[in-house]
Amino acid sequence: MSTAGGKRFEAVEIGEALGPHEIVIDKARAREYAAACGMDSGRFHDDEAARAEGLPGIIIPGNFSLGLLSKLVTDWLGAGAGRLKRIGTTYRAMVFPERPLALHGFITHVEPESRSVEIDVWIENEDNERLVIGTATVEFPAGD
Amino acid sequence: MATILDLHSHSEASDDSRAPVEAYLNWIRLRRAERPIDGIVLTEHRQFNRDADYRALEDRFGVLVLRASEVETDYGHMLVFGVNDEILARFDFGDVHLLAQELIDEVARLGGVVVPCHPGRPNVGLCEHYETKSPLENIVAVEMLNGGSRKGENERSAELVRRHGYRAVGGSDSHMVSLIGLCATRFEAEVYSIDELVRELKTGRYQPIDFRPHRPTPRRATPAAAGSE
Amino acid sequence: MAFDQSLVGKEFEATAPVTVSAEAIAIFCRALGEDSGRYGRPGPDGSIIAPPSFAVTFRNTDAFFNYTPRFGRGFDAGKEVEFIGPIHAGDEITLTSTVREMYEKTGRSGTMTFVILRSTLTNQHGETVAHVDHRFVHRNPGQGE
Repeated sequence: MSTAGGKRFEAVEIGEALGPHEIVIDKARAREYAAACGMDSGRFHDDEAARAEGLPGIIIPGNFSLGLLSKLVTDWLGAGAGRLKRIGTTYRAMVFPERPLALHGFITHVEPESRSVEIDVWIENEDNERLVIGTATVEFPAGD
Repeated sequence: MATILDLHSHSEASDDSRAPVEAYLNWIRLRRAERPIDGIVLTEHRQFNRDADYRALEDRFGVLVLRASEVETDYGHMLVFGVNDEILARFDFGDVHLLAQELIDEVARLGGVVVPCHPGRPNVGLCEHYETKSPLENIVAVEMLNGGSRKGENERSAELVRRHGYRAVGGSDSHMVSLIGLCATRFEAEVYSIDELVRELKTGRYQPIDFRPHRPTPRRATPAAAGSE
Repeated sequence: MAFDQSLVGKEFEATAPVTVSAEAIAIFCRALGEDSGRYGRPGPDGSIIAPPSFAVTFRNTDAFFNYTPRFGRGFDAGKEVEFIGPIHAGDEITLTSTVREMYEKTGRSGTMTFVILRSTLTNQHGETVAHVDHRFVHRNPGQGE
C-alpha cells in the first residue's frame, strides 16, 4: 500500500486538531448502519418502538458513534503507515439522527519511544454539548 | 498572590476517564496562556488513592496536584477534600448511597470539607433534591460552575447559589486531557497543599472562573445528501 | 446490585465462527461513510480489509443475559477496543467473552448497574484480531422512568 500523503509521526504535534467535521445522520442511514451490524432492536429502526421504550424516536447506535470517531482518526492518518491501535468511548447522552453533529479531536500526547500518539475524540451536538467522548491511540512504525 | 485551581477532575483511575495525570499537566503547561491554572485536584469517582505520589510530576511541570474524591449520596454527588485515614475509616466511598448530611458533618469534624458538585444536574445534583427534601445544613460551598454541565445546568446552579447564599467554586469535571482547566476556582490566598485548600474553602475568599472559549451561534441542521459526509 | 456479582469472571462458550464476507464489509463501509478506498476494496495483494470499527459488530452480550433476567432499559455505555490485527474478507471470526466487572453508580438517569463484558476476536488461524470491552448499563429496578 502506498504511504504517500499519509500522516508521518514527525509531523504530529500536541494540540493539533482533528476536524471539526460536521455531519447530519438521517434516519435512513442510521437504520442502514444498524442493519449492517445486525442490530435489530426496535430503538434503532422504528420510531414507535423507540417511543415505547421512552425514547423520543430512533437513536443512533453507540457503535456508529465509535465508528465515526474511528473514521475521524483513520482519515487523519490517511494512506500512511500509521494505524489505529485502540479507541475507547463513553456515551454520555443519546445521539439522535437528523440533528447537527460535529466530530472533534485533539492530539494530547506524543510518545517518541513507542512512536504512539494519544488523541481526545468527541461528538458534539448543536448546543456544543459532548454526547460521546473518548480517546484513541495511534502508532507509527519505526522508520516511517 | 492568587492561586487558580481546577477543583474537579478525573484521571484514568476513575472508571470513565482515560486521562493520564502526566498528560493533564503537559496540556496545562502548553495551554497556559488561555488557561492560567496553578494546579488541579484529582477527584476520583468513589475512591481515594492514598498511595499516589505526584511530586515528581509537580516538579517537572510546575503544576500543583492535589487529591480528593467524588462520592455519591442521597442528595447527589459531592466532592470530599482533605480525605484522611479517619474519614476513610468512617465512610465507604464505594457506597453509592451515602447520607449527605452525615457526610458533610462528619467530614468537617474529621478535618475535611464536602462540596456538592454539579448541583444543577438531574438526579445527582442538589437542585432536584431540594425540590422534595429539606436543604442541607453546614454547606461550605457548592460547585456553581462545572465544565461538564449541559445546557441550563450551570444556570440552575447559579440560581441555587443566589437563593441559598452559598459560596461558589468551579471545576472542569474533566474526563479528557483537553478539557482540564476549562473551569476553575480563583483563591485570593496562596494554596500549596490540601490542608491549605481545606482552610481556604472555609474562608469564602474565592470565586469560580470560566476559561471556556466563547462559542459561536449553535449550528443548525442542514440536509445531508444520502451517503455523503 | 441489580445483577449477580458471582458472574464476575465467568467465561462464556466460544461462539460458532462467523465468516466475514466482502459484501458485509462493503455494506458496513457504505453505512459508515467509509469511502477512502483503504477499506472494503481489494488492496495491492487482492485482500479486502474491514475498517477497524468493524470489530464491534461482533458481540456476545446475549450470553450474559442468558444467565440473568433482563429488566428495564439497558443501553450501551461505551466501549474500549484494542485493534490487534486486520479483519479480512474470508476470515472466520470466533468470539470468546468474559464478565470483567460489575459496579453501581448514580448518574442523570438514577442508580445504574454497569457491566463490562470483554470479548476477544480470533480468526481462523488462531490469531487474536481484537479485544472489545463492552460496557453496558442498566437502570436498577424500582426507579421510575
